[in-house]
Amino acid sequence: MTGYADFLLLAVLALDLYVVYTSRLAACVRASALQGAALALLPVVHYLETPSAHLAHVLIMAASALALKTILIPRLLMRALRDAGVRRDVEPFVSLHLSVLLAGVLIGISFWLATVLALPAAGSTHLFVPTAFATFLIGFFVLVSRRKAITQVIGYLLIENGAYVFGQSLAAQMPFVVELGLLLDLLVGVFVMGIVILQINHEFDHIDVDQLNTLKG
Amino acid sequence: MEQPANFLVVVLAMPMAGAGLCLLLRSARAVFAVLTAGVLATALAMAGLAAVVFGSGPLHAVGGWLFVDALSAYHLLLLALVFALSTVFAGRYFRCSSHAMDRRTARRFGALWFGSLAAMTLVFLSNHLGLMWVGIESTTLVTTFLIGLHRSRESLEATWKYLVICSVGIAIAFMGTLLVGASATRALPVPSDAMLWTRLREVAPLLDPSPLKLGFIFLLVGYGTKVGLAPMHTWLPDAHSQAPAPVSAIFSGVMLNTALYCIMRYIPVVEAATGGTGWSLRLLALFGAISMVVAAAFILFQRDAKRLLAYCSVEHMGIIAIGLGLGGLGTFAALFHAANHSLGKTAGFFCAGRLGQIYETHEMKSLRGTLRAAPLWGTGLLLALLGLIGVVPSGTFMSELQIAKAAVDARAIAVLVVFLAAAGTAFIGIFGHAMAMAWGTPPREAMAEKAGLLDGVAVVLPLALLALLGVWMPQTLRDILEQAARIVRPLP
Repeated sequence: MTGYADFLLLAVLALDLYVVYTSRLAACVRASALQGAALALLPVVHYLETPSAHLAHVLIMAASALALKTILIPRLLMRALRDAGVRRDVEPFVSLHLSVLLAGVLIGISFWLATVLALPAAGSTHLFVPTAFATFLIGFFVLVSRRKAITQVIGYLLIENGAYVFGQSLAAQMPFVVELGLLLDLLVGVFVMGIVILQINHEFDHIDVDQLNTLKG
Repeated sequence: MEQPANFLVVVLAMPMAGAGLCLLLRSARAVFAVLTAGVLATALAMAGLAAVVFGSGPLHAVGGWLFVDALSAYHLLLLALVFALSTVFAGRYFRCSSHAMDRRTARRFGALWFGSLAAMTLVFLSNHLGLMWVGIESTTLVTTFLIGLHRSRESLEATWKYLVICSVGIAIAFMGTLLVGASATRALPVPSDAMLWTRLREVAPLLDPSPLKLGFIFLLVGYGTKVGLAPMHTWLPDAHSQAPAPVSAIFSGVMLNTALYCIMRYIPVVEAATGGTGWSLRLLALFGAISMVVAAAFILFQRDAKRLLAYCSVEHMGIIAIGLGLGGLGTFAALFHAANHSLGKTAGFFCAGRLGQIYETHEMKSLRGTLRAAPLWGTGLLLALLGLIGVVPSGTFMSELQIAKAAVDARAIAVLVVFLAAAGTAFIGIFGHAMAMAWGTPPREAMAEKAGLLDGVAVVLPLALLALLGVWMPQTLRDILEQAARIVRPLP
């Protein structure tokens, strides 16, 4: 069972890039759902390669990640997308081509950071830490470079996914409660964001965050 | 010590039970009755808990996951005081016709109010760094809906900014927490110990410095977002100005301190691991200085009374960060300053909120002659603002003086210059705004109804305490602050 964790982590990275490259919001949501599936598999594969945690713990984590990241949250976002009636994030603040280039730079920085830190490697793969940082940083980039509230939520999702991957690399130290706390945070956070998006849409008839600019100074 | 230890769980359970109860009540009146009774009872329990801790040392519960020492007990006291005052005030504030609540809103408000009290209590009770993070995270999620209680375009905008910026901050803090845990893999062989603060504190010199340092930067930026340290403060003026006044009061009076408390916990650990070079202290002082400068600039040109108070919070968080960053006497002064700021700011937001209801605006250019139009609230706001900028006799003056002295002791001339310049600028700015609002001719329609006894208590009590602290510090309080400061202060 070697190499599967690497494969999953590379898939996570590829999906990061896809989110950066596409302007279609539905595709963004689907990509995040797919990334969620990869992340749900990650603890299982990791357990098979290096059984360090409890199996029950691993299975519950995988199941809840799958339920939340692949099913519940994407459905929630799709609904918000439909209700708000938006399909594309046109004219992002940074052009899509340049975005991909910058995302590549961020991935490079992440690999550099991982070597500098020299954290104890998690089992068989050295990709955990760089993937975590890359996903985290790319999420941050998506959050600040796009116009629609929904894309900001996707950026937030990527940030949380990065934190999740990082947490997996430290599964032994991480108590169960805190991991569940992270998932709960994600669920409630996105849920709350969804509600606020709908309220914004109801009140303003759009969800362009750059037009939320009355409060200044 | 079994009995007092169980007490920790009780203190945490009380507001949670209150939140559940509020959802079942049948009228807005009943919600406020339960709120007042529940919060006052919790506040008393917290005070009792703190007294036990100051008397006989730290308490542990639930397998070491929960604990209270002098530092957390001191913060629990602040939490109890600000929440008790704000709850009493909220009962009055939401009676005004422009902010009246129907049953559903009142229920929601009650549950969220209790919920935020529970979340902040969890932060102060946790020994586990992950649990502490869960506390801060739930604080954000719970308080989000308090901002937009009375839904308007502006409050929605503020809610969105608060939610997104603080959520990201919290995700950053999570990475930081993990990195700190990762730095302990070698030093603590039992993995489940790696995130217990007391264990980390013991083995701090053995921690792996490079992940720990990166972790501290993440934590400082992440929790610092919630503290309102510049340049991560951008959500703060919006949220504070749009939230109903009692909510602004707890935001400014304790929520910011709650996040800063988390940063305080990491200081002694990081300092011990990096050989006491003052690396983390310098970083904290830097953020503090930036916050003070940014806030002072915005204060000078401010037009909105509640935003003025919000930027004043950024400034004061900066002052506290600088105090902590100086170490020595500065740590003591910073903790003292936190109390002064909470007292002044709570009263300030109460008065600004009520004046806003009376004048139907928070624009300072329309808020004229407040002393005449609404004697209690006008005088209260004037005195709160003067107290906050450190006019004698207010505790703020004493704590700022101590911080300046700490800077001289530490020969941190650059910090001292920035501190004095920014504090001076804020002084001039706020003084001018406060005078302009207090005197002048009030518009004809702005006449307050007679203020009640409870209104008086909510305004006079914090201001009287603030003035008292400026002229006389009881020995007990000095001991408490010294005990708390000893925990934060890196060992020489």
